[in-house]
Amino acid sequence: MGLTSQRLLAVAALLAVWQLVIWSGSLPSMTPGVPAIVTAIANAFTSALFWTSLAQTMTAAVTGWVIAVTAGTVLGLVIGSVPMLDRSTSILIDFGRSFPVLALMPVVIMLLGATAQMEIFVVSLSCLWPVLVQTIYGARRMDASVVDTARTFQIPRLLWFRRILLPSATPFISTGIRISASIAILVSVGVEVLSQTPGIGRQITLAQQAQRWDQAFAYLFFAGLVGWGIAGLLNLAEGKILKWNRQAND
Amino acid sequence: MTETALRTPPKPGPGTVSTKNASVRQAGGTFRERSRFAKALLNVLQRTWLIALVFAIWWTASANSTNIFIPSLEDILLSLRRDLSNGVIGSGASYSLTNLGAGLLLAVVVGIAGGLVLGETRRLREIVDPVIHFFRSVPQAALVPLIIGAFGIGQGPKIYTIAFACMWPVLLNTIDGVLGVEPTIRKFSKVYRIPAGLHFRRVVLPAALPQIVAGIRVALPIGITVMVVSELFAANKGLGFYILNSSATFQVPETWAGALLVGVIGYILSLLFIVFERRILSWYFKSGAK
Amino acid sequence: MAVQAAPEQEQVATAPLLQVQGLTMSYGFGDAENKILNNLNLEVNDGEFVSIVGPSGVGKTTLLRVLSGLIRPKSGTVSVGGEAISGPHRDLAVVFQDYSRSLMPWMTTLENVAFPLQGRGVGKKERNEAAAKNLAAVGLGGQGHKYPWEMSGGMQQRVAIARALAYNAKVLLMDEPFASVDAQTRFDLEDLVIDLQSNLGVTIILVTHDIDEALYLADKVIVLAEKPATVVDVIETGFGDHRDQVETKADPRFAEARARILHRLRSH
Repeated sequence: MGLTSQRLLAVAALLAVWQLVIWSGSLPSMTPGVPAIVTAIANAFTSALFWTSLAQTMTAAVTGWVIAVTAGTVLGLVIGSVPMLDRSTSILIDFGRSFPVLALMPVVIMLLGATAQMEIFVVSLSCLWPVLVQTIYGARRMDASVVDTARTFQIPRLLWFRRILLPSATPFISTGIRISASIAILVSVGVEVLSQTPGIGRQITLAQQAQRWDQAFAYLFFAGLVGWGIAGLLNLAEGKILKWNRQAND
Repeated sequence: MTETALRTPPKPGPGTVSTKNASVRQAGGTFRERSRFAKALLNVLQRTWLIALVFAIWWTASANSTNIFIPSLEDILLSLRRDLSNGVIGSGASYSLTNLGAGLLLAVVVGIAGGLVLGETRRLREIVDPVIHFFRSVPQAALVPLIIGAFGIGQGPKIYTIAFACMWPVLLNTIDGVLGVEPTIRKFSKVYRIPAGLHFRRVVLPAALPQIVAGIRVALPIGITVMVVSELFAANKGLGFYILNSSATFQVPETWAGALLVGVIGYILSLLFIVFERRILSWYFKSGAK
Repeated sequence: MAVQAAPEQEQVATAPLLQVQGLTMSYGFGDAENKILNNLNLEVNDGEFVSIVGPSGVGKTTLLRVLSGLIRPKSGTVSVGGEAISGPHRDLAVVFQDYSRSLMPWMTTLENVAFPLQGRGVGKKERNEAAAKNLAAVGLGGQGHKYPWEMSGGMQQRVAIARALAYNAKVLLMDEPFASVDAQTRFDLEDLVIDLQSNLGVTIILVTHDIDEALYLADKVIVLAEKPATVVDVIETGFGDHRDQVETKADPRFAEARARILHRLRSH
């Protein structure tokens, strides 16, 4: 039996267990069975509301993420290549990265309201840290030979930044980008759950409150699917962009 | 990075590209006491001046704030001190941290056990791989309304949500760690006919431990986030409830104080984790394995 | 090489192209001071090939880093064209021993060679032409699209040499450039450098621990020894422009010079 069919079988087994548990009555009665979830997933496909919510969540997640990646990379390269700055900011950055940004939600809502801008702000603040920390780490690890080479050829500051520091740190930056992409989805959905900003997270909460559990599970399924797809795409992109890194280290 | 720096033996004389650093470090070692003290002081100053500056700016800029949503830092700290001393925060924090600890422990146990099994059996791993990656891609925060809706606002559902969210990084890292065990060590274990139980406990587990600990380090902030979200969503106790309740009753300084406190707790936990990591992995850092 | 002889004499009459005076280098302070170089004096004329030879750990790499302006000496000066340098200099190009790490793995070989020219503001077309020309000069014509990691160690070192040539500096500084390649590749690279030097008339200072290599390549061999390092001997090889791995090394003067250097190094 091929791997694919075995994988399908595993999924089928998982669904069967789910259905059996439902029948056995050990889960709360409102938990939907497999057929109900499948129907709800199919319905979501043709629902305009679903696609709008998905688009709202994705817009906020991607916008916040892009802002964080840009700011984190630039800041990280500067901080990581200037030891004095690196030392000065280290405690602040350690604090920031371990700060659960979602805990700030009530405060942020007070200041910005339950708006899309607020969601983008929270997403970018959450995504900033992994990119920043990884970029600093990458910039710190500049190879001494590369530094010497650039110095003897008197490479100007800006060119050095763009063509040496940035590419040499990319393996680390891309790890940060990958981590922050999954954080972006997690946080945007979290913000929607907590603040009722429009998006998938809000729809899940609404569906649950309306006792439409099948719908809630269907949306949850799509949220997972999107996260999965994005992770896969980023892996693919990283493999392409960083071909030199894998080869050079072989 | 610090480990590597400490490991480098002081090498006098030239010969390597890192000559400069090595010699400077060596010079530092034989410096007179006074200048060593001055250096340490300078180091502390370099690391703290920015924090002090940020604090000072916040303090002065918010001192005469007329925006009711931006209370002065003084007010925030005063209400923090009051609620710390009257035990309001203390009981909330112990509730929240109990949930976090229990959820994390559950995640670690299940994650390591599952990771060891999946890491050792290639076929099974390949079969369930897509399922695992799907589950870990589900945004953990989205589970909160479902689990709380189904099981209520009690302690159990919160612990399970935290455990579910934290399990995936532990599981995936354990698998990676098991796969990364030196083939030579595996062969040794086979040749000497180490029994399966002993092999797992004394060979595979320690060898995979650095990766496993790295997984727990990733899981910790996720756990804190889910903890806060589950309490902000619906709860009658805990730090998240304190923040939510303050905000609902327009106690603005308390809202700020609660949010900042959660941040400080997150920071302290991450520092404690580093200590724990150094301790449990001391052989790893000392051996300089990579 | 009669054409070159005349300006060379003029140079000698005025000032050497590169001059090192009273160079002292140490790390650390006070009790921990570790003196590496002690009162070094060197002169290198335009078009000359000078080898600096000394045992491992004598301070050759430190000397080369001072010459290239990467580190500042404690006292003394390095001058190029009569002008004291204060850092990396337009007229100095360096070929490092660690070729695999001094070439950027994210750039093609052509981009690697053209990069220093880009830093100087040379336009894209012009710098790519210069890079292609210099890659051809080191025997890598048409291979500019490859990445360094797709090449052998010897080829990578050729790229590093091409990059230094493209920079069009007056002096090429080479730090143990052939120490990490196999023997046959090493001979090929040595002959390549000799050819380049006589064709292009560039001045080369090569640092090595290998006495044979120092003698075979150079017009003048400077022997470093003692701790802290100082110049213990200067030998004019006098082999002329034509060199051959077998003939030159079989020359009685070669054996004599080698014995002299060995003797110098042993007695210190």
